[in-house]
Amino acid sequence: MNNGRNLWDSLKLPRARRSGSRPHMIYLAIGFPPAAKSCAYRMRETANQFAAAGWDVTAVTIIDEAWEREYGLDHTLAAGVDSRVRVVKLPLVRDDLETDIRAFSETRALAHKDYLAQLRKRNLKVFPEPVFGGWRPALEKALVQIHRDKPADLLVTTCAPYVNLAATWKLWETHQVPYVVDFRDGWSVDVINNGEAFPKESVSGQWEIKLLTNAIAIWNVNEPISRWYRERYPELAHKMRVVRNGYDASSIPAQARPVTPDRPLTFGYLGALNLPVPLLDAVLQGWRTARAEDPALKDARFEVRGHIGAAWARGDNAHAELLKAAAADGVVVGGSVPKAEVIDLYARWDAVVLMVTGGRYMTSGKVYEYMATGLPVVSAHEADHDASTVLSTYPLWTGAVGLDPAELAGAFRRAAAFALNATEADREKARAEAKQYAREAQLIPAVQEVTELVHGTGGRTGTPPVSPAGAARVLAREGRS
Amino acid sequence: MVLGAVPGRVAVLTDALEQFRSLGVTVRVACTFDPDKIPAAADLAELHLLPTAKELGPRFGRMVKRASPARRPWLRAQRDPWVRRHAKRADVLVALDQQALHTVWQLAHRYRRADAVFGLAPALRAVEKRSADPARYRRPRLTTLGPSPLLAVNNTRSQTIDLAKVVLDAATGQKAMRLGAVRWFWQRAVAAPGVPERYRGKIARRVNTSMHRAGHKASANQLALAAQGRLKSNTTKGHLLGPIVEAELNQGKVPVHLMTVAKGQLAAADAFLKKRNPGKAAPHVLRAFDLMFHRIAHFDGVTSPLAEDPEGFLAPLHGSKVGQAMATPRGRRAPAQFPPADRPHRMLFFTGLNDNFLAPILERYEAMPDVQVRRLNLVEESIRPVLSNGRTNLVHHMLAGTSKRAEEVAEAWGEHLAWADTVFVDWCNLPAAMLTTIDPGTTRVIVRLHSFEAFSWWPHLADWSRVDDLVFVSEHLRDLTLAAVPRLRAPQGPRTHVVSNAMELHRYAGPKTGDARFTLGLIGLSSLAKDPRWALAVLRELRKRDERYRLKLIGDDLRASLSPAVRAYVAELDRELAELESSGAVIRTGRTEDVRGALTDVGVILSTSVRESFHCGLVEGAASGAVPVVRDWPFFAGRQHSARSLFPSDWVVGTPEEAAERILAVTASEDGWREAGQAAASHVLSTWDWSVTQKDFDRLLLEPPATAG
Repeated sequence: MNNGRNLWDSLKLPRARRSGSRPHMIYLAIGFPPAAKSCAYRMRETANQFAAAGWDVTAVTIIDEAWEREYGLDHTLAAGVDSRVRVVKLPLVRDDLETDIRAFSETRALAHKDYLAQLRKRNLKVFPEPVFGGWRPALEKALVQIHRDKPADLLVTTCAPYVNLAATWKLWETHQVPYVVDFRDGWSVDVINNGEAFPKESVSGQWEIKLLTNAIAIWNVNEPISRWYRERYPELAHKMRVVRNGYDASSIPAQARPVTPDRPLTFGYLGALNLPVPLLDAVLQGWRTARAEDPALKDARFEVRGHIGAAWARGDNAHAELLKAAAADGVVVGGSVPKAEVIDLYARWDAVVLMVTGGRYMTSGKVYEYMATGLPVVSAHEADHDASTVLSTYPLWTGAVGLDPAELAGAFRRAAAFALNATEADREKARAEAKQYAREAQLIPAVQEVTELVHGTGGRTGTPPVSPAGAARVLAREGRS
Repeated sequence: MVLGAVPGRVAVLTDALEQFRSLGVTVRVACTFDPDKIPAAADLAELHLLPTAKELGPRFGRMVKRASPARRPWLRAQRDPWVRRHAKRADVLVALDQQALHTVWQLAHRYRRADAVFGLAPALRAVEKRSADPARYRRPRLTTLGPSPLLAVNNTRSQTIDLAKVVLDAATGQKAMRLGAVRWFWQRAVAAPGVPERYRGKIARRVNTSMHRAGHKASANQLALAAQGRLKSNTTKGHLLGPIVEAELNQGKVPVHLMTVAKGQLAAADAFLKKRNPGKAAPHVLRAFDLMFHRIAHFDGVTSPLAEDPEGFLAPLHGSKVGQAMATPRGRRAPAQFPPADRPHRMLFFTGLNDNFLAPILERYEAMPDVQVRRLNLVEESIRPVLSNGRTNLVHHMLAGTSKRAEEVAEAWGEHLAWADTVFVDWCNLPAAMLTTIDPGTTRVIVRLHSFEAFSWWPHLADWSRVDDLVFVSEHLRDLTLAAVPRLRAPQGPRTHVVSNAMELHRYAGPKTGDARFTLGLIGLSSLAKDPRWALAVLRELRKRDERYRLKLIGDDLRASLSPAVRAYVAELDRELAELESSGAVIRTGRTEDVRGALTDVGVILSTSVRESFHCGLVEGAASGAVPVVRDWPFFAGRQHSARSLFPSDWVVGTPEEAAERILAVTASEDGWREAGQAAASHVLSTWDWSVTQKDFDRLLLEPPATAG
């Protein structure tokens, strides 16, 4: 892995803006636009909302080449970033995703798996995160340098990668910069397997507790994860806040395409195909059965859009093979979609398929966007899943039927019936259900709360612990104690 | 493109090939396998099989065999003009799988004009990039001319390494070991100061193996002994010294390096356990057990390193990671519950394997109206399978913390355990250890340890947090076992008790013949621990003074086939017996069911053993009216508890001479001898007869347990 030590010395930071009395916030957000990743939407909105709330925002991410190795770039996403946001791109790349064979050593060419295993082992020695742990020195150095260049009043750090926490701690230790941890899916909670990812006594556990203890606020994407943390660290419960991912209104068409009996239906999935293979297989089997049995699904298409695999495995993994093999069933694979074109995609779909891994701790971001479209939603996830909680009041939902192909076939048929029979009033009702999850509606109160907490301290740098009065006021307003 | 293995995702490959075709790209694929295996790709690209070992000749075949699998595709591609021709002209070189990476890496450093990428998507991107700016790629550049200097450096280095390997292989191989000078050289080289540990270890192991293969075992042993002094790694030392230790054990000797090899096995097991591979750790643990508890070390000699220093001897086991893993208490969900007063006490006894000491106990409780007894016959068809290959399964279970075998035990025994209030397992061996693989619920578990188990691996394979009470038959066995198995003293360990064997001693009382006064008796000879030669030494001492003394040996002869050490002992014993038997000084009765009858003419009963837990034979003899003379069992002599604390002090002697003195004194007169015999009989009957000791059993089994151990 390139930990940036050599490149870092020659890094030229974008010139810090002179902006009068605006407080400065560093936003450590690896995955910030133009990275073509779903987390980039939340990051973009977070940066924009802080800028709108009067902050000078410096978003810290990594160079574009790093994203080209992974899922690629989406420049339409970067276009939506507030022009006041300064973006610093650190020269860090994932060595494990390298595909230029000339950059390999002969040892790596001979034993690629062993090389990757060794790389992970080395990274773990630096920070308890196998893929990103090695970035710790560079990230720490970067944050300190940015702070020296322009002192920060606040650091908002968003994970993953969790190695960001090391840099966050460094800035806290050396300059006492107050920080917010946007923990999103959490760390010690295993959202895929519904349990503890590591015990408190482990190295990761020690990092987590240390970081959370000193954070001024901790954000999570849903209530189950937030509850996990409140129960795990009851003494920190007052800092926890649910900031759901929400959806971007700009990606949602004003109206759904009218369905006519003579036109075959189109189902769609949008998102990275990093699901368990059996889940995708069950969905495709269910789709095949439903399409064969239900006249409403005659000639129907199932359009799957999103990234499949990264680096050398991009478009070349078990998911891709399954999808290509399902071409005869009307399954169309179309690759990723620029954010600006998402609106057109939803405009030509008649129903959406929510394929999500995990269980009760997982919500996913796309559930909100799917709801906002007002289209029928086919759920393909465990029945005990937080997406079910969100969708429970959505009128055009087929219900959580688990991952049995026969049950999924039934869900596809119900969705087809919804698509054919739903009135505009039904769809409007469905869209209205999603309004509460607009992304800005989720972020504005959280940003305001943090802003008030920091301003409550009254100082720009060397900020001591947050004013209890300010914090209590905000917490009281949120109805929490 | 290079394919190192048959692709699993043909649809993805053909889809990509179609994309390349639509972009106007000519694709050639070199495969390490028959291209017919991917017929779908045949229409979209030129498929080519790399030359096979058969085509390239036997010399190449040998070279391929020696090379690591990762290098083999390149060895074939290197000799293929098709590959050279097309790689030279290629714009993009693609490795389609990990097995192809090295081949493309080699090509990429020879033909530097081309892009070299891993994967289909990067290949498509490279094509698009080149198409977007073809002029850029047409311009000749210094960095793309000729092979990479890196390749020359790499080649020189690998050739040098290969040459060094060949030379080293030859110098340390079996053929070289035929030369005395070479053996002499390596014996000194491996012990030379300053050699790094890993080289010393590697070379010593290889040369040692080569010497063994060449038939020079003595040289191999000398080398091992020379190297081990300089080595730090227990694993390497164990590997080198293993054959020496094995040979010594086969000769019946206790090897000097026994524990070094055992430590090596434990270190190897620890390494596997660290990698979370208990399956691979288990064989090393078993081997370590075989060595540490070898019968030559503890059963077939008159000393035992474990008896001498139990803590020190077993410290490597307890200090190892595997030892600690096996000592991990898994506990029980609920404590044992004493049965309610309104129903009979349900007792479960494990029987069938060795019930020698169980009969009076079973008889007593089966006759009690307020006790229900159930026997779990371990040799029954339905039960036996859960004990098969038991030791291996137990080690697996203890290391992994869980096992399928434990589930099988729960299935086979669970119903009985659920029924019972108390389960009594006589002998602390396989069934007892196997029982602790499962949670006994609220059933109280009592295990009795006799003697040999303390010198075996079994107490180390039991989860003592699931045993409520551990019963010993004597204090000195308790001391030894608690020292050898530290987790018995842990807070979660069992309560410990000393309760004598159930012996119906009154059955042995009877008249003595007149000549019994000069007849010594020894009951039980079947193990070397009984040390009958000591009895012969006593007899010789006596016969120096009075030739009327003779010795009666009651029981099966010691089997010479048990081990080389026993064979050597038996040879000595037979030599001594030949002389004494011919003169009528020794009589061998062999095995008899009528012990009482055999004791009629025995006036002095001996215990000559090196170790005993109690020695029932001696006490039976004393009950018959014979005067007991007990050797101060050497395994326990001098300890807080020993034969001296178990028996009246005047019974116990230190040497054959002392024994002879005691015998001469007590048999000096008919009356004195009879009086001493009566006193001894009276003592044993009032102390150890079942009519007395059954109260201890009742307290243990029928009364709620006290908290103190």
